[in-house]
Amino acid sequence: MIRWALAFFLLNGLSAEAATINTSLYILRDSIHFDNGTSLPYATFNESNAYTATNARIVADLGDQLDLWVVNFDSEVHEFRIQGETNTVSIPVGDSVQVLYDCNSQGVFIFHDPMNFPDNASVGLSGMLVVKNTTNAGFYWNIKEHQVGNNATVFGGSSPDWSTYYPVHFTINGKSAPNINNDADARVVGNVGDTIYIYMANTGQSIHSMHLHGYHATIVYSSKNPSHVGWSKDSMPIFPSETMVLELVPDQPGEYPVHDHNLIGTTGGGEYGQGMFTTLLIAP
Amino acid sequence: MAKAIKLSMVNVIEIVKMPHWFEGTRNVTLALILTLCSPSYGQIDTSLQLISKIDFQEQFELHDGNLIHLMGYTQLISAPIDLPSPTLIFEEGDSVNLSMWNLSQGAPHTIHLHGLDVNQQNDGVPMLSFEVEHDSIGNYYFKAPHPGTYIYHCHVSSVLHVQSGMYGMLIVKPKSNPNLTWENGFLFDSEHAWMMSEVDTNWHHDSIINHPHDPMGTMDPILPYYPQHFLINGMSETQLDMAPINGTVGEKIYMRLANIGYYANRVIFPAGMNAEVIASDGRPLPSPFNSDTVDVYPGERFGVLLEADAEFSDVIQVGYVNLNTQILENTQEVDLTISGFIGLDELDAEDQLVYPNPANDEVQLPLSGEWVALDLSGRAIGTLISENNNYNVSGLAVGSYILKNVERSDVSVKITIQR
Repeated sequence: MIRWALAFFLLNGLSAEAATINTSLYILRDSIHFDNGTSLPYATFNESNAYTATNARIVADLGDQLDLWVVNFDSEVHEFRIQGETNTVSIPVGDSVQVLYDCNSQGVFIFHDPMNFPDNASVGLSGMLVVKNTTNAGFYWNIKEHQVGNNATVFGGSSPDWSTYYPVHFTINGKSAPNINNDADARVVGNVGDTIYIYMANTGQSIHSMHLHGYHATIVYSSKNPSHVGWSKDSMPIFPSETMVLELVPDQPGEYPVHDHNLIGTTGGGEYGQGMFTTLLIAP
Repeated sequence: MAKAIKLSMVNVIEIVKMPHWFEGTRNVTLALILTLCSPSYGQIDTSLQLISKIDFQEQFELHDGNLIHLMGYTQLISAPIDLPSPTLIFEEGDSVNLSMWNLSQGAPHTIHLHGLDVNQQNDGVPMLSFEVEHDSIGNYYFKAPHPGTYIYHCHVSSVLHVQSGMYGMLIVKPKSNPNLTWENGFLFDSEHAWMMSEVDTNWHHDSIINHPHDPMGTMDPILPYYPQHFLINGMSETQLDMAPINGTVGEKIYMRLANIGYYANRVIFPAGMNAEVIASDGRPLPSPFNSDTVDVYPGERFGVLLEADAEFSDVIQVGYVNLNTQILENTQEVDLTISGFIGLDELDAEDQLVYPNPANDEVQLPLSGEWVALDLSGRAIGTLISENNNYNVSGLAVGSYILKNVERSDVSVKITIQR
């Protein structure tokens, strides 16, 4: 077995609390299912050899070292990188690679299969690495959209025509409404006065504009627009491959929607209410 | 028919000061009961009613002359539905009762107060708050929060009802001065509000607009969205010739930009205009910045302060970008003219034209006869007529207006109503 070792030794040393995160990602192919009965071929990075349509998420504390093995259980060659952070490595069928990464910068980083970008990443192979320096509650939104037919095209060895892209399914962590509210990592639950962080990554190819009801949130991290840090917003556009962190301090109780304000994104398969729509649940 | 004329005498915002709790006399719905059970806001300072309706006949005219059906909000039963719906203006801290009488003949509607961060009961989201059935009245209670620019829209099958036309702008002004962005903020001399959106005419057929009650949305067809019309305040192409922006050297012009469409808007100001981006989503930006380009994505609002130090004529461009392909699909242009003074060459100072300014109920204008009052979006909302130079402006709500003289088309003045 060929093993690639990839190490990044950054200038800053590990903090006193630094830990080594030993984990693995398994590339598996199956399908993603939507409530209108549509199923699309799909592939994800999984935390075990059991497939789910939700990519595994890696959460590290600032200063941790990531010791990651990526295992290719698919029938095709794949690649792997942490976007903007590590070099691309190839993973032959049945093989694995080791990726070492020092988590010395706070933020959200996308790991994905960059082969024929954005083709392979678009069929599901895009996940989130979150590096944080807080113990406050955090919720995670890997947002994505899907055009019927594109995944089959990619798995068939061709590239979709992105200039005519028209997705009809919209997901957070691989789920559409109303199922997003069943994802405890996605649905924001807290109390008035809590400091809550929402970690977002747009691993799709469309621009989305996430709108909060009930509250404004402060942008505390944006990979694309660092100058927006500190803005208090209720509608946050997030671009393809952009990551963002929001700080939310609820000042009133209640259940409030969060959704894409490109309202086409609140539909699924041509039906309203089956898209990128979840709720915040805030207790007094 | 010219749009400005078609719209005259409608969309007048009537803010009625109410000394006590609003007591409706019409059919009280469960929704109303639920709302009245919500936490008390005490005395209501401002009460306003909107009527939600649909077009049974195609009446809204697009730039190419075609007519389409709309859903929308009006303030008078007899008023035609317009794009956008009337701009609502409140003062910071006011306790507001915004009621909606649904005369849709079918679908329920709501008012979602986008960005106002109202409580759950008044958030206008079906199932999480309440929806208003046909021939019922729903009441929304809230305190007008931070001064800024907001949106109101229906949240029932929102992708459908918003595209159908159920949206408008909502502005909260500081109490001390309507020409102030917020307390200790920026002073401006005039302001314009642009609500940007698109129309896909295939979404405006009678079968879609006049749809039955379908709370789950499962019967509402969501068609592919390929808009043919790209709008600023409901106008496009040559219609925008009737809504130019005219200013003077040194005048501070405040632009309120809002996007309720499903495309991104790229607003480009001409090189001669100093543009400072100072606010977004109803909040001051921590670090205002200068930029000739402002991108506004769905649901966002921006406040931009414009000022020129020389006379020129140019256009402000608004690009419409497909969010899936990131391709610029359309560009609209609005004429912008910066002149030395405002129209009357024989007078040498603007403050001699209008007195007092800000005005309350009466004002003296430089010419007698008929004037057309234009609101922040450049739409005619009414006329002022007098045989002498003294005019009654008590019918104008608090805010800023441009008055255009009917006989002297080269004469226009700006006026602020403050009470």
